[in-house]
Amino acid sequence: MKNVEANMGLELRGLKKILGGRVIIENLDLSMAKGEMISLLGPSGCGKTTTLRMIAGFLIPDAGTVKVAGKDVTNLGPEKRPSAMVFQNYALWPHMTVSRNVAYPLKIKGLGKIETAEKVEAALGLVNLLHHQDSRPGRISGGEQQRVALARALVQEPDVLLLDEPLSNLDAKLREKVREDIRELQRRLGITTVIVTHDQEEALSISDRVAVMNAGKIEQFSNPQDLYRHPATEYVATFIGALNRFEGNLVEGRIVSGSDVIGIRPEDLILSSQQNDDALPGTVELVIPRGHFFEVVIRREDGIFKAFTNEFIPAVGENVFVKIKKSLRYQNGKLVG
Amino acid sequence: MRSLLRRTGKEGSLANNGSGSSLFGFALSLPPLLLVLGFVGIPILIGFTFSLGFTKGPNRVIAIIGQQIHPKTHWWGTFAAYSDVFHDSRFVGDLVLTLAVTAISTVLVIVIALAIALHQRLVGGRTASVLATLSIVPLFVPVVISAWAIHTFYGGDGFMRSFFANIGINFPTLTSTSTAIVIGSVWTSLPFSILMISSGVQAVPDALIESAKDCGASTLKVISTVVVPLAQTPIIIAGSFTAIGIMGSFTIPLFLGPNQPTMLGVEISNFFGSYNRPQQSLVMAFIVFLAASGIAVLYIWSNVKSAKENGRI
Ligand SMILES: Nc1ncnc2c1ncn2[C@@H]1O[C@H](COP(=O)(O)OP(=O)(O)OP(=O)(O)O)[C@@H](O)[C@H]1O
Ligand SMILES: [Mg+2]
Repeated sequence: MKNVEANMGLELRGLKKILGGRVIIENLDLSMAKGEMISLLGPSGCGKTTTLRMIAGFLIPDAGTVKVAGKDVTNLGPEKRPSAMVFQNYALWPHMTVSRNVAYPLKIKGLGKIETAEKVEAALGLVNLLHHQDSRPGRISGGEQQRVALARALVQEPDVLLLDEPLSNLDAKLREKVREDIRELQRRLGITTVIVTHDQEEALSISDRVAVMNAGKIEQFSNPQDLYRHPATEYVATFIGALNRFEGNLVEGRIVSGSDVIGIRPEDLILSSQQNDDALPGTVELVIPRGHFFEVVIRREDGIFKAFTNEFIPAVGENVFVKIKKSLRYQNGKLVG
Repeated sequence: MRSLLRRTGKEGSLANNGSGSSLFGFALSLPPLLLVLGFVGIPILIGFTFSLGFTKGPNRVIAIIGQQIHPKTHWWGTFAAYSDVFHDSRFVGDLVLTLAVTAISTVLVIVIALAIALHQRLVGGRTASVLATLSIVPLFVPVVISAWAIHTFYGGDGFMRSFFANIGINFPTLTSTSTAIVIGSVWTSLPFSILMISSGVQAVPDALIESAKDCGASTLKVISTVVVPLAQTPIIIAGSFTAIGIMGSFTIPLFLGPNQPTMLGVEISNFFGSYNRPQQSLVMAFIVFLAASGIAVLYIWSNVKSAKENGRI
């Protein structure tokens, strides 16, 4: 028992939150190991920020418990919790220099001058910002401000690091770099991290596990491969990656009318110019180059299919044979095969 | 208020992106500038020369009517009227009272306004908004009316005394005391300061407050290290406007204050009207003007300082 507790990063049990008379979060459970990095992924308004704010202490849950490193913190305010948050707009104080921003939590803790200076320097070193120590936040770029916010969180040596869409204000290129930097730092420091995002690529590429949220509930909490290959619900299947979705059943490689929902990943469709077992003929309607692969839209008699291919690239109007290699079957939204 | 706080360097560069357009901008502001110079600047200048004993030209008539006029003895004038005033123990008492009432009232106004604004910002809720709305009411009540109301409330036969007499307590008569001036000044100055300060405090983004809490700061620390510094400019504007207003106030001390010593606003009027000593009256006016300029300089200095800190200059 003791060991389990020591290894615990964060545990949410039966969390519930009502805001503005509406149930925003309903009976949410989630537990993660120490040193793990997870994402809360979901569409806008599904309750990601609300969940994160309950972990940080800005919102007190209406029911349920929040445990950080084995300690119940449910009724503590944010100033008493061992968590540190990186806000979406960085929330740096414009009247303080970069190093005073980072030093702030240490000053509040009453740390000595010398120790504070050392820790601030170390934190700014981690995010490569030593040269901006004396700049005002308003004078540095968005990416740099983001790193200051990260340094201010890291300097607190929190038990849990919380990031609310930390990359959404950065341009695409920078976003990719910064997210790798965050992941690298997180691994190196072994810091338990929760990152909120609505960008699935971001979630899948930097987290150990991803909690896919929908309407205040976690649909599936699993590692990226699992989420993609075995989406537990129809919602997850459509939310993560591309999917051909049909209402009906799959019989001998053909969609027939029925009560199930069939999901097929575009890369699970095999195209060829020759008839082979289970392959059905269709006409190519569209070919879209997508960089390292092509997206091909084919009309079969049982439906329109989107396939990803990089071996056999047909031409528009050509007749091809399409074989379904793998499919997902859902009943009432749940995976059954 | 928002724009005062959020102003960035960009606007500055807009204004002087080329000498041609800056000249044009200056020309645009010229008419009102000339108007102010003509209707305020010139009278001030004439008044100042009169206080130095220039009794000719535009000052000729007043020099004939007024008593105890000191004509100039040097080419630059004379300080005789100034010396008159400073050797008058009456004036010295007035000056002390004026400065004390101004300082105490201003501090009270800022503290109360800040408390209301902070309560509204950090706690919120119904009571806060009701309180904030109520505190604006004096803005719509003419000063004479409120002075009279305060008079009947705290006077010898006023509400407070009558009320407390019923329960056997002898409540002091506050009218004709400097305390009453402070009460009246706070009452009349509060609304503007509350409007100013609460809009400044309101403009501090939630995330900046929350991030401080997340760093472990108590509410008091959040206020002293984040909210107040970020609302510094409106607080200083409110403070200096309040101080200047109270220093030169007339109605409140006339209705509520003691006869002796009284605030300089009233004394200036006495010297000018009742005692017919316009030169000494002007000297006092210039002393008040000087003190107010001191506050104005403080105000500008702090604005420039915060602009520098925020990288606007
Ligand atoms: N204080 C509040 N009062 C009422 N409703 C609220 C409040 N805060 C949030 N909500 C509602 O709760 C729902 C979840 O909000 P939340 O901010 O957690 O969503 P999110 O998943 O973070 O979305 P986004 O990706 O847009 O940030 C939304 O429908 C929102 O309107
Ligand atoms: Mg959100």
